[in-house]
Amino acid sequence: MPDLALQRPGLSRERRDALLGLLLIAPTVLVLGAVIVYPLLSAIALSFQSVYTPTLEGHWVGLANYRELLGAGGFWAALLTTAIWTAGTLTLQILIGVAMALLLHQNILFRSLARSLVLFPYFLSTVVAVLVWRWLFNDLYGIVNHALMAAGVIDAPVNWLGAMPNAMLSIMVVGAWKFFPFVVIAVLARLQTIPEALYEAARIDGAGPISRFFDVTLPQLRDVLTIVILLRTVWDFKEFDLIYLMTGGGPVNGTRTLPLIVYQQAFGLNQMGMAAAYAVSMMLVMLVFMLAYLQRARKAAA
Amino acid sequence: MGDLMEPERGHLPSKITRRTALGVLAGTGAAAVLSGCGASDNRTTLRWWSPQAAPDQLKSYKARIAAFEAANPGIRVVFEPTSDEGYPAQFASAFAAKQLPNIVTHLPSFAAQNYYAEGLLEPVDDVIKAIGSAQFLDGTNDIYRTADNQHCALAIGNTAVDMLWYRKDLLQAAGIAAPPRTWDELRRAAQATQKPGLYGAALPYGMNAMTSLIFIGFIHRAGGQIFTPDLGVAIDSQPTYDALEFYRSMREFCPAGASNFSWGESLTAFVSGATATGIYGGRVLANVAAQNPAIADAISCTVYPTMSAAIPAWTFNDFPCLMIPKGAPHLAETKAFAAALYQPEFYIQQLHAAPGHVLPVLKSVPTDPRYQANTLIARYPAEIDLMTRTAATGHNLGQETSAHRPNLKANEIIASNAIAELVQRVVLNNEAPRPAVAATAKRLAELMRA
Repeated sequence: MPDLALQRPGLSRERRDALLGLLLIAPTVLVLGAVIVYPLLSAIALSFQSVYTPTLEGHWVGLANYRELLGAGGFWAALLTTAIWTAGTLTLQILIGVAMALLLHQNILFRSLARSLVLFPYFLSTVVAVLVWRWLFNDLYGIVNHALMAAGVIDAPVNWLGAMPNAMLSIMVVGAWKFFPFVVIAVLARLQTIPEALYEAARIDGAGPISRFFDVTLPQLRDVLTIVILLRTVWDFKEFDLIYLMTGGGPVNGTRTLPLIVYQQAFGLNQMGMAAAYAVSMMLVMLVFMLAYLQRARKAAA
Repeated sequence: MGDLMEPERGHLPSKITRRTALGVLAGTGAAAVLSGCGASDNRTTLRWWSPQAAPDQLKSYKARIAAFEAANPGIRVVFEPTSDEGYPAQFASAFAAKQLPNIVTHLPSFAAQNYYAEGLLEPVDDVIKAIGSAQFLDGTNDIYRTADNQHCALAIGNTAVDMLWYRKDLLQAAGIAAPPRTWDELRRAAQATQKPGLYGAALPYGMNAMTSLIFIGFIHRAGGQIFTPDLGVAIDSQPTYDALEFYRSMREFCPAGASNFSWGESLTAFVSGATATGIYGGRVLANVAAQNPAIADAISCTVYPTMSAAIPAWTFNDFPCLMIPKGAPHLAETKAFAAALYQPEFYIQQLHAAPGHVLPVLKSVPTDPRYQANTLIARYPAEIDLMTRTAATGHNLGQETSAHRPNLKANEIIASNAIAELVQRVVLNNEAPRPAVAATAKRLAELMRA
């Protein structure tokens, strides 16, 4: 039908093909424009305004939001906190994820069941997971303190969420527990495609389990781990609900990451323009990770 | 039918092709959609938000809604719970998205003043008139009076939020005959009762609204204030340093997790018997009855101690109110439902759902035999009476004293956690009070200017 419509005198075949191409790609461009470009441009435009959230009424302030944001210590402190959280939880996710994937790759009893159960934290709602973990960490009734006291490791309950560095370590652990299954899925899929012949050759050469892991498995996992680390870095960097519900950003500002500031500016202080400025700044930081990811993906495709 | 559904060696039944199956699925879906359309509810829907949504309260709301819907067949009321910590965000997004609830209850008075000043609420004078302004306790609705001489909300209850709850048995066992009246006495009581497995107090030190709201009371109980009556920042003063010093000295008598306490954790610490004293409203009564009846005879409350006996008590009443967002549809129906919430039989039922916590604002209720018939109200008459009297003279950041102008920025100040952060910096981080208070004063001034 489009072909018929486009067969008008005066249009060369190349031009008709080009028009057809534009026609075919138009829906995709429209959808991407509506769900990505428009919100992005809106956020950037908002960041140059002072906007009262409930009414969305405001006025142009130029770079004032950015000047205030960069001039106050809060942004840089939160950026550092975000980086610490991201690095800490990501490291744990990778270590636990790879270890679990290696275990599930073995011929263990109930392997299929274990492979299903290991995904459980990833599927669990963050709100539910946080409620459970908060009770586990509770100083009066939590099983973590009770178990440690019963084992004689501690004499008095530890303040897991209300003191630093406990609060940061606690959210890193919960983050790792919640998101390590993603690493397991990706790594396990890759492990299953590593040729057995490589391990046989390594064994013949006298390589033990540790050597086989570092000389065969790890190099084979390098590509998938790079992608996993890049993706998880972006996702952990903008993690909001888990941290907000676990500590609310406290104690003081010990776990106050950038997404928590965005939320407070937008809905606590009703300053949507300033919130947008924080969000755009976050986006610029994440853009670095995105460019690295794109470069990596392009190299892999080549 | 039986042979139609007989499967054939792992394939779809022999007489049902994939195309037929898909057709049946599509048809079923279409029929479901059409039947849904046919059965659509044409009634006017009113949305009701409240952070007070404990199971018994929900039950009382359902009864009120059912009776209202029966009397008004064209109206359907949907209750949606919100939260004390989360309502500013929910409100902001609801207004921004123009998905407004019709009626909101049990939010603090300063929220109503704030939203009204931004043009986001309807005046409710005709609702007050419909109920009868003389029906309310004298002066109850004054705190909702606006600069344009209207009412931005009306009282739905009173709450004495920061009463000192204490265990009579534990104080007696520690040789303390009377409940503490001053901070020194309170600290001595906390010290005397504390032992392994039992803490002296349940004060909040978390980065949240509760810590801010509770600590404001401590500044007043040291003789200070956050703002002057003309709303100049007044927090940087000796009473604030005194309050911080006392609050820091009480940390060792609170559970380790108090650094993360909000309303729920603080309440549970006292109700569960983990602390000898607590700080909360009347909800303690219902929770003890339901969760730890063994201590029910041993609990009582008094006004929270002040720094010295010469300083008058200051009680935090959030003045829970009813407000009507501007722009929500069906205003006449909404106002009719708002007035219906005050019909004595249903109003009393709402109060009974949280006995002693939401206290009556209608004159006739405290002496109404139906109100007094509640088990907990009958069991704790002295405590209920004290909370009722104390709440009636209470204040909050929206109007710190009767001499203060309404503070239209109180909502943002609480949401900013500026005061909770001050507490955490001094108590948890052990920072010097003076620079921390000075930084808070500067932050408050910025928030007032914003």
